[in-house]
Amino acid sequence: MDLFANLAHGFAVALSPINLLMCLIGALVGTLVGVLPGIGTIATVAMLLPITFGLQPVGALIMLAGIYYGAQYGGSTTSILVNIPGEATSVVTALDGFQMAKQGRAGPALAIAAIGSFFAGCVATVLIAILGAPLTKLALAFGPAEYFSLMVLGLIFAVVLAKGSVLKAIAMIVLGLLLSMVGSDIETGVSRMAFNIPELADGLGFATVAMGVFGFAEIIRNLDAGAEMDRDLVQKKITGLMPTRKDLSDSTPAILRGTVLGSILGILPGGGAVIASFAAYTLEKKLAKDPSRFGRGAIEGVAAPESANNAAAQTSFIPLLTLGIPPNAVMALMVGAMTIHGIVPGPQVMQKQPDLVWGMIASMWIGNLMLIIINLPMVGIWVRLLRVPYRLMFPSIVIFCAIGIYSVNNAPVDVILAGAFGLVGYWLIKHDFEPAPLLLGMVLGPLMEENLRRALLISRGDWSVFLTRPLSAVLLAIAAGLLVLAVLPTLRRKRDEVFVESEG
Amino acid sequence: MAETTGQLSGGTASLPGARSVTGAAIILVLAFTPQIIELLIALAGLVAPLSSRGPLQVVAAHASALAAAIPTLAQQYAAGGKTSLSPDVLMALIYTYPLIAVGVFTFLVRPRAPQDYFGGVVLMAIALFALWASSDLQGMRGFSFGAGTAPRIFGLLLLGLGAAVAVIGAVSPGAQLATYHWRGPLFVSLAILTFAVSIRPLGLLITGLASFLIAAIGSPETRWREALIVGICLTGGCALLFPYVLGLPMPLWPRFILQ
Repeated sequence: MDLFANLAHGFAVALSPINLLMCLIGALVGTLVGVLPGIGTIATVAMLLPITFGLQPVGALIMLAGIYYGAQYGGSTTSILVNIPGEATSVVTALDGFQMAKQGRAGPALAIAAIGSFFAGCVATVLIAILGAPLTKLALAFGPAEYFSLMVLGLIFAVVLAKGSVLKAIAMIVLGLLLSMVGSDIETGVSRMAFNIPELADGLGFATVAMGVFGFAEIIRNLDAGAEMDRDLVQKKITGLMPTRKDLSDSTPAILRGTVLGSILGILPGGGAVIASFAAYTLEKKLAKDPSRFGRGAIEGVAAPESANNAAAQTSFIPLLTLGIPPNAVMALMVGAMTIHGIVPGPQVMQKQPDLVWGMIASMWIGNLMLIIINLPMVGIWVRLLRVPYRLMFPSIVIFCAIGIYSVNNAPVDVILAGAFGLVGYWLIKHDFEPAPLLLGMVLGPLMEENLRRALLISRGDWSVFLTRPLSAVLLAIAAGLLVLAVLPTLRRKRDEVFVESEG
Repeated sequence: MAETTGQLSGGTASLPGARSVTGAAIILVLAFTPQIIELLIALAGLVAPLSSRGPLQVVAAHASALAAAIPTLAQQYAAGGKTSLSPDVLMALIYTYPLIAVGVFTFLVRPRAPQDYFGGVVLMAIALFALWASSDLQGMRGFSFGAGTAPRIFGLLLLGLGAAVAVIGAVSPGAQLATYHWRGPLFVSLAILTFAVSIRPLGLLITGLASFLIAAIGSPETRWREALIVGICLTGGCALLFPYVLGLPMPLWPRFILQ
């Protein structure tokens, strides 16, 4: 079996001391940002991009991946103990997790969250390993027209699954596409919309925009609410981590369902961990015999979303590794990380860089194992961190972000640009525009333009090529169908319901 | 530039369902923002050597462009010729005039969802600006894309979407404008600016601490002694972490000490 040989190879790579260390660092940093509210995964990954310059590509990607799924673990801790989601993905976990903590069952809640995440992580790792090769073969059948249609589908998915107005989400994507046009045109080399500013000739740095819109804007927004966040930390000592037999039997089906749902939503472009946890929570509530228990400390309400977000965080690597298309903003940053190391993401990565792909897959399983240790016995340390007041944390984050952006190109202008995008991000938040689709549009922009151009060049200017090639037509049909469904009032109401849960 | 103009519409606060005079005025200012920014750059050019037009030239050029834009267009249309319009005239035609129209329109309507309405209008402004900025690029050549084709497609798309968001915001009820705070954004931006300006000449140690303290002003809850201690520790930590542990080249000490 190829699969086992590949996995064995992957483990050999991942178990080398340096990669183990990278995995541990990634998991630790991930847990840290997961625990601390006010700093998100996207900003952290963007911040650490320049640091990976000096590392081997495998180690760098292992570390960055660890941050993403590590944050899913860490986020649950804050949600359960403080009722403030450390990460957007743990918003729903707070609903029942904090209630459990209030009833003195913080231990079992944390344990179930960790066990669920671990189980989901293992399943997702296997899934990536199994699905990787066949999807790569499929990708090789893709021409420019198919690629373009697939990206349209991905963006539409992102819109349909995003929170809030569909129209505004599409507008954000197009704004992102437009921003990605700044700089030199790939084919003709003409400078576009750069206003003769030398720093713009190379285009707007993706990390710069991400840091501004997600890092700085988030800080400014948090300051609006007052730095002293209401942290009614559960003061009781956490006793008895072990869940009871009843807890386990209650949560097993929830973990299974959450894992399946999360894995599917992770693979779909535009999905990712946030939507997975919302969907899993809603599903549990629908299936439960007594839905009124939810919101009052139902253990399924912790188990399902935590499994789902971890599964989704990992399966979202599948489209990136096989098709070279990032399904969400964090994966878009991973593209940036790969590009820094001279790796072009796409179907050829699997064949040309087996070390990288399989090493990363194997490291995910190892990372999950580390995380369960980091999170369960050491939970007290993380809780203590929460006592660091935001008034000290936010200037520190500002400095870290500034140093991070500066060191990407050693360019002070990048720092100013990031600051400007911070204000843009603040404005977007104030007008209820989602920044995540913007980022996705920005990453996919150059890819889309290139494939659109190439497809039209091959078809000699015939736009119907997108509809006459069967694969492309199917992808576009799905995209159109989704868009229609999303705009239909009945479904929209349902979709809004899912998001309203979080505010309850 | 489109980015900096984007946040100008901040600070607007209108009464529910009221005629938004402030909003209309801000859109009118937005319509002239690129010209104003060019003027400011030209004024800065008097002090620092920048290769741009002088301030008087800028004012004259834009004033004549704004006045003569429509006659020029008509003339060109009548001639049927391919004489290209100057960027200033194009700016007036593509960006300023449409936005003035939107501003006047804003004065006449009472948007029922100001948050969406003004959001959409600013997106339209960004789209128009991008259309202007890409107007000098080559369009389609036969069936192959020119450098300007994709920016124009996306620009027009964003214009349409922004207009749709604005129209829906004007017609159907929705959220009011959120309140903007000035303290956090101002001092965090100042801290970032300080960092960018002084990292090269002053080095990480001074810059880091200074930016930390400036950022800390952004919150009214800052306690100074505590912030100072944490700032010093953090800057020290960064000074060890980034250049030594991670090997990123970064000046630590001010340039004048090293010389």
